[in-house]
Amino acid sequence: MASEAKLSHTAAIILQALDAGFVYGFSIMEMTGLPSGTVYPAMRRLERDELIRSRWERQSIADAEQRPARKYYELTATGKATLRASRKRYPLLERLIPSEEAKSV
Amino acid sequence: MTPSEDSVFHLFHIGLLRAASLLVPAKQRAEWWREWHAELWHVRHACAPQSNVSREGEQQITAFCLGAFQDALCLRQQCWQTREPHALLQGSATRCILSLGAVLAASYVVALLLPGVRAAHILPSHQVNPGLIRIQNTGYDDDSSPTILPRQYRAWKRNRQQYFDGFAFYGVTQEPVEWVSASTGSNARAGWEVARASSNLFVLLRLPVQFTEPDTEGAGNMPKVILSEGIWKREFGANPHVAGSMVRLGLQNARIAGVAPDGSSGLPGKVDVWLLEPDSAIVSESVGYVIARLTALGESEMWRQCVPITVYNSDQPEDDLLGVSLDAGTPDPWSIYLFTVFLAFLALPATTSVSLGEYAVCSHKPSWTKRLYRWGFLSAKIAFILPIVYFISLDLAYGRTAFDAPTAVYIQLISSFSIFLFGLNWALRDQRQRCPVCLRAVAHPAQVGQASRTFLAWNGTELMCVGGHTLLHVPGLPTSWFSTQRWLYLDASWSFLFAGSGTAMEHKAITGFSSP
Repeated sequence: MASEAKLSHTAAIILQALDAGFVYGFSIMEMTGLPSGTVYPAMRRLERDELIRSRWERQSIADAEQRPARKYYELTATGKATLRASRKRYPLLERLIPSEEAKSV
Repeated sequence: MTPSEDSVFHLFHIGLLRAASLLVPAKQRAEWWREWHAELWHVRHACAPQSNVSREGEQQITAFCLGAFQDALCLRQQCWQTREPHALLQGSATRCILSLGAVLAASYVVALLLPGVRAAHILPSHQVNPGLIRIQNTGYDDDSSPTILPRQYRAWKRNRQQYFDGFAFYGVTQEPVEWVSASTGSNARAGWEVARASSNLFVLLRLPVQFTEPDTEGAGNMPKVILSEGIWKREFGANPHVAGSMVRLGLQNARIAGVAPDGSSGLPGKVDVWLLEPDSAIVSESVGYVIARLTALGESEMWRQCVPITVYNSDQPEDDLLGVSLDAGTPDPWSIYLFTVFLAFLALPATTSVSLGEYAVCSHKPSWTKRLYRWGFLSAKIAFILPIVYFISLDLAYGRTAFDAPTAVYIQLISSFSIFLFGLNWALRDQRQRCPVCLRAVAHPAQVGQASRTFLAWNGTELMCVGGHTLLHVPGLPTSWFSTQRWLYLDASWSFLFAGSGTAMEHKAITGFSSP
């Protein structure tokens, strides 16, 4: 998908949350306040459009912490470019969810 | 909240997720379940820790689980969008049955809309009384010509008869008729063949007059006419409420009393309208037809189609006449249809091979459920073809009200037989070209090339199941070692050729083969 692709506000928030280090569904829900019925379908569409990709946590890590392994999401290069374009469209994104770089600054 | 309640809620949430997972496409279901199950664990951990189990927490978890349905539906929609629109139904059994259903619905709707077809149903053909003969003079070559004078008829009726217990007379003349046309709504005028008949004719024939008036009190002494079915359809638009309307025959007004069914076509002479009159009113000196009803003694003498009759007159020489059995009338559409279906089944083996393809050479056979499904599909096709043939043949035969009864019978006979035979042929040929595993029509025909002809001495065409289950080899020139078509069941090693990653797994499940 091209970087100038139009994203919905919800999708932009989710991309911003992922960029800010909230890398699994429930943490994005907690961060954004969006319900599960919005967050997960939005992530399916973002993954289909190759803006994000998913990977499973290593089972050994989950076993060590005595919990089930979870699925993590991260931005692809296209997703990062799209997010940059979206920040111009939605200037409040970064204020709502400060990214890792912004926090370190 | 007690621990037992906590377990109940947990089971409830698991149940919700399980229910939602059923909406997820099968290929993605396992991973989807794993993700949501893990997320549920974390949600439960965050919202309802064991030390502090609360109803609010359980409600939050329930709301979280309900979101799984939206996620599952999203995946389902994505699955539909990624498939080609026609790929699902391309050549499938479902598509075939849906198409047949559409044809059936269309032919049925057309049959409902055509007034002629409606009339064929609501005005069934009646056969005339079997104990009836037509009496005619032997001196005429044309046996359907009128030969009897009204005075002869009156004399026979007046005298006591040994072989007959009823007579009826009618004579046909062309007369100008005026009526209100159904198509234009204005008065129309034409010359019709008017049969002036004795009033007992229809009683003697035992032909029930259709669409009679329920109340004829107001009719007075006005003469009654009975329309023939052809005129009723053609000029009155098969209107079932035609009785009571007025027509003008020459200088005489008459009231329509009903419609004569097709069985009356067994009577000689073309008649458009019957004018029923008392015997005394039949004053014409022109010749006509006499219908006589046989007594039991008369029937015993009627041992063939025609019998000679001698009339002894006291003051005149004897009359030599001929008694001819009346035709049985036209069969009804359903009888014609059943007859043609029977004929088509008899003719089928002469027109096509009734086998469904050769399977004996292959060690692999589909499961009995697949075979049952296959036979069920063939039966369903034939079950659809049967009513389609009936309705289309009715549409063709009775769609035009201008057709008279014998013409309609011939058209239905030919069309019903032809369409059903063609339909059976198609059903069998289609069945032979359907993959025994998935019932999709095989596609992508490829002629086997020169190399095969040279080295294998085999000419033929190869077709492929688009689902990747089978190859069909059809010999171009049947030989002693390869006379009929053969199916080759493909194992999972072929799956890379076919679109869709699920084919291989589906393959393995269906055929039981594994990849080498």
